[in-house]
Amino acid sequence: MKIEYFLVLAIAIAGPLFFSFSPELRFYQSPRRLLLAIGFPFPVFILWDVIATARGHWSFNPEYVTGLMLYNLPLEEVLFFIVVPFAALFTWESVNWFLRRKP
Amino acid sequence: MGKRELVSAEETVKEYTILAACGALLSVGLDLILKTQLIRTKAFWIFWAVMAVLTTIINGYLTGRPIVMYGEEFFLNIRFITIPLEDYLFGFSLLTSNIVLWEYFKKREKSSD
Repeated sequence: MKIEYFLVLAIAIAGPLFFSFSPELRFYQSPRRLLLAIGFPFPVFILWDVIATARGHWSFNPEYVTGLMLYNLPLEEVLFFIVVPFAALFTWESVNWFLRRKP
Repeated sequence: MGKRELVSAEETVKEYTILAACGALLSVGLDLILKTQLIRTKAFWIFWAVMAVLTTIINGYLTGRPIVMYGEEFFLNIRFITIPLEDYLFGFSLLTSNIVLWEYFKKREKSSD
């Protein structure tokens, strides 16, 4: 299925996106900080990925990607570096929320 | 001819292994340089226990299908189920950088209040 990689990303971000509007966690209140925390590593990891893909460290199965490409990377792979950090930062805030909440 | 090919295959540098190890060290370095000191907190290790499970699920699917395939000569070929060891270091580099920067900018916002 060509949209499979895309679906994996959609599933990964669905929960965090939904719960980021929780009034307890207030994750939605820091869009600027979110942009900075995701935005600085982004070009570094894209460059790593571009070089690694060109060198043959890894490759993408054409069966499971839409075929939309940004240079030598599938669009899904580029989105990975936004989706996964977003989900991780949400998890980080959740962990800290649970720790604060503990008596 | 056959022997020569074998030798050159053995001499291939494990580039992914080296890059992943450097990435992990640099992300910890960032934590020290920016004085966020997250690696000393309990939250950091709880976060990584949770993320280890989550990334194993996601990356397990990506590598098991496989959606992403690896050049055998560039990594150690040590896998957890289907996931190369190096992928965990790659993920560690990325997500540690994210949370270190997140906490760094949080601290700066607070100090400028």
